[in-house]
Amino acid sequence: MLALTAIVPAQPRLGAISGRVQVLRTTQPAERRPNAADFGAQPPREIPDLRRAVVYLERGPAAALESREPGRASMDQRNETFLPHVLTIDQGTVVDFPNNDRTYHNVFSLSKIRKFDLGRYASGKSKSLRFDRPGVVRVFCDIHSHMSAFILVFSHPYYSKAEADGRYRIDNIPPGTYTVIAWHEGEARETKTVTIPAQGGDVDLDFVVQ
Amino acid sequence: MRLIHVTALVLLAATGAAAQTIPSEPITFGEGRVVLSGDASLSISPKDEGFFNYSNYEQTTLRQFSVGMTGLFRLSDRLSLLGELRSDNLEYVTALALYARIRPIPDKQLDIQIGRIPPTFGSFSRRGYGHDNPLIGIPLAYQYLTSLRADNAPADADELLRMRGRGWLSNFSVGNVRPEPGVPLVSSLTWDTGVQISSRWRMITAAAAVTNGTASNPRVSDDNSGKQFAARVTASPTIGLTIGGSFARGEFLGRQVRSLLPAGDRDYDQRAGEIDVEYSRGHLLVRAETALSSWRMPIGTSGAAMDLRSTATTVEGRYAFAPGWYAATRVEHLGFNRIAGATQTDEWEAPVTRVEAGGGYYVQRNLIAKAALQINRRDGGRVTRSQLLAVQLLYWF
Repeated sequence: MLALTAIVPAQPRLGAISGRVQVLRTTQPAERRPNAADFGAQPPREIPDLRRAVVYLERGPAAALESREPGRASMDQRNETFLPHVLTIDQGTVVDFPNNDRTYHNVFSLSKIRKFDLGRYASGKSKSLRFDRPGVVRVFCDIHSHMSAFILVFSHPYYSKAEADGRYRIDNIPPGTYTVIAWHEGEARETKTVTIPAQGGDVDLDFVVQ
Repeated sequence: MRLIHVTALVLLAATGAAAQTIPSEPITFGEGRVVLSGDASLSISPKDEGFFNYSNYEQTTLRQFSVGMTGLFRLSDRLSLLGELRSDNLEYVTALALYARIRPIPDKQLDIQIGRIPPTFGSFSRRGYGHDNPLIGIPLAYQYLTSLRADNAPADADELLRMRGRGWLSNFSVGNVRPEPGVPLVSSLTWDTGVQISSRWRMITAAAAVTNGTASNPRVSDDNSGKQFAARVTASPTIGLTIGGSFARGEFLGRQVRSLLPAGDRDYDQRAGEIDVEYSRGHLLVRAETALSSWRMPIGTSGAAMDLRSTATTVEGRYAFAPGWYAATRVEHLGFNRIAGATQTDEWEAPVTRVEAGGGYYVQRNLIAKAALQINRRDGGRVTRSQLLAVQLLYWF
């Protein structure tokens, strides 16, 4: 974590950054490990949407952070898939992990910022966790090796998960110069610098993720 | 304007990579039509002087480097090819599995597998891969070598009794007299060849197979013109609970020995049955299995035969006590029926009791470091007791 010094006007006009993230790299959902010991083929599973990028400010001013109450979010387990595949939350948010499959799942993470193991729980049950530290949490199922997901925990509200067509928008940004990052599947793929002028306004910023 | 200090979010690649630094997902080609996965494990332990952990490959399972590669080739919605190559200590490469999987009706869970197919009998063979084995050793029923061989038979009960506790290198005087490893109750390290059909319906999974070998002696080619029939049924009445049962019956004795016996229709077969249960909830996983096997073996060349029975019982548990950490224990016993020789009456093979306790740590999602202490007690053989401390590093993708 880094400390940031930023200059914010007493009553700043706010701006926004919007644009499109074009994901050119080929990404495929993790296949089930082929198991020669199986009696037969496994049923098809849900295919997660891996093309969603996340755009965020590397560092953000504190004012908006202080005014936002962390809420609740959910990461479903359905058809042997975590849904959504990428979950973006504010620091302090409580995430529910409902199991909506007819089999056990065992959600766990070995990520440094939040190590946890929820154990096995049945269909219709849910367990919850609070995420207090910012960073990336890689989530897995201990039973199904092809199940994985990301939780991105932010210490500020200046982030946006791209829509299916790649469009994103980050609102209410105080004037200043910021580093903006497009993240995709575990890595910060592209970094750009942008300035929100003192009079506010929208800034267009497109990314191409190779 | 005011000066503020904010804790910033740092989303560097290293953050995500901290939990995943080596490849963890299977390799795919051709839009998912070809999927390859692999595993490698290094197990280290002191020398197993009592040969408690030797397998039919004449190697100890606690002291070896094992690598494997599994491939799935989806030729169509109805047809796939599966293969698994394994090598222990890089001494040789065997095709543990090599078969075609046919699904006649794509949306019906009915599969036919033809070739060198997975075992139908028992539960451990389908979870024998290191990451689903909480400890390092293999359960006695699936690994411990008895003195019986399909190509060799004792001349009398006394000769059989003299071989107690020497299954890793056994020989009798009828048939192939060269010393070779005996067979375990069920072989999990060699797979049989034949046809298997399986189906799922709600909470029930059922499979049946006809193969060349037997549960204890799987084979690529038929050595006695007798086939094995095996069946397995599992039920999951509630999530987390699975109850299974298996049966197998096949001709055990090879034609090399049979040719030395009087002509007749006597069966020298292996019959085996087992029941198993697995229950898991929260951070706890418990498994139990009891397997019984009976071999009908000739005694000498007169045509006399006797039933040699074996019973193996295993209970194991695993508890994840912290993220990435677990502790595990397995307690088991392998027993045999008594036979009467000219000078003594005893179990035909030396009973073995084993306790293995240890744990594991997930260095990352697909890299486990394990440590275990295995204590063996055997009622016979040159070495009757052993304590083996073993460590294992296991990686898979």
